[in-house]
Amino acid sequence: MRPATRIGRRLVRVSAFLWAAFAATAALAEAPVDWLSRVAAAARVQNYSGTIVYQHGTHAETSRIVHLNDRGEEFEKLLSLEGPAREVIRSQGEVRCYYPDAKVVRIEPRTFRNAFPSLSPQQQKTLAEFYEFRMAETGRVAGRDVQAFVFEPKDGMRYGHKFWADAQTGLLLKARTFDERNVIIEQFTFTEVSLGGRIDRDMVKPTWSVTPDDWRTRRFGGAEAEVKETGWTVGRVPAGFVKIVEGFRQLRGVPDVAHLVYSDGLVTVSVFVEPIVRAPHPIGYFAQGGINVYVRQVDDYLVTVLGEAPAVTIRQFANSVARR
Amino acid sequence: MNERISRLMDGELEGPEAEAALRELARPDAVSAWVSYHIIRDALRQSGEPIPGFARRFAERLAAEPTVLAPRPREPHRLPFVWAMAATAAAVLVVGWVALSTLDPQPTFIAKAREAATIRTAQGTSESVSPDFLLAHQEYSPTAQIQGVGPGLRVVSGRGD
Repeated sequence: MRPATRIGRRLVRVSAFLWAAFAATAALAEAPVDWLSRVAAAARVQNYSGTIVYQHGTHAETSRIVHLNDRGEEFEKLLSLEGPAREVIRSQGEVRCYYPDAKVVRIEPRTFRNAFPSLSPQQQKTLAEFYEFRMAETGRVAGRDVQAFVFEPKDGMRYGHKFWADAQTGLLLKARTFDERNVIIEQFTFTEVSLGGRIDRDMVKPTWSVTPDDWRTRRFGGAEAEVKETGWTVGRVPAGFVKIVEGFRQLRGVPDVAHLVYSDGLVTVSVFVEPIVRAPHPIGYFAQGGINVYVRQVDDYLVTVLGEAPAVTIRQFANSVARR
Repeated sequence: MNERISRLMDGELEGPEAEAALRELARPDAVSAWVSYHIIRDALRQSGEPIPGFARRFAERLAAEPTVLAPRPREPHRLPFVWAMAATAAAVLVVGWVALSTLDPQPTFIAKAREAATIRTAQGTSESVSPDFLLAHQEYSPTAQIQGVGPGLRVVSGRGD
């Protein structure tokens, strides 16, 4: 994987040009994966700060985001404006989550291993096969002109996605996940945004430059996921989903959690299988944010399936997990 | 038998297969399974809207098979059969929604729904997925990247453990 700085510099030069060219010829049909790559690039490349409202179900929450791209290196700070003052800081390949109410800071590495420029041909194929991609209306979000795009699912095993991208830079300003009845599953939107201006490094630093003594620091993840067969498989993979990764990782203190990832090109579903170490444990279905989760027991193992897909899809994954 | 009832619930059965499954429902243990699957199904669908036409077809069949309407639930603490069978869209919407609410879960209802669905749960354990799992999942999520902030928002919305 190339270093972030080299990619960053290339993207700074290329993305602004590409987006301008795209906006100028917006009436032309475009391959969805190209559009997605552009929008992903804008999120990495642009400097921006703003206020975001994130909604899922009846729950809504306001946060502040600041993102800086300093010569290819990214810094990002997300802080909640309601309820307990939580912060997520991303910099130098690390993600730190600060929870002042619990006096906990979690630190883990953050990489994107399935970046759009490198979606496999197979994923690009399923993306085109299972979603219809179309341009929708123009409009305004957070005071800026936007162009909306829709990924309409062709079957009931996935949600629809609508994205509103800033007309000038391609930055995603609003995104919505909806089901077959147009019920909004999850939505985030900027309500105000400042794009392209100067962002100081101070603006992306955590409030706690030194972790207070009475806080706990918890480090996670770390090791590269070992890519190998785990001995588990999903017998009835829902249409359009393809396994893209399989391996063991250390998660929540358990050393060998099997993690299988399936993707339809736009969303992923994760299957986690771990030996049951503590009982009792919760079992069943619940929704958290825009993801659906299903937990069940298979012999002496706990299977957790989660993803940005309808419950019926998560359930089919979970109910067909078996030993290979 | 339970598999057939589950498929009937999902609207996957038609014609003679559906007839056979409905006939099986005349048995009391099948009716308990019916209640269970109904609760699960409605919770999973996150809404009370039934499969189009299903309610009507089912009502017609019920009229023809009155024994299905008079079950004796095996265990007294299960939700009354009437609750499930008479569920209107509005009632089931509320039921389903309450079961799914992550903001303010009502433990009594969830516990009862799970009893009825023969799903075990532990008292006092939190009903949210570990941030470890979420973050591992989002490393591979294409939408997580274009949304930039999306994944961070989900983690910030959750708990610290």
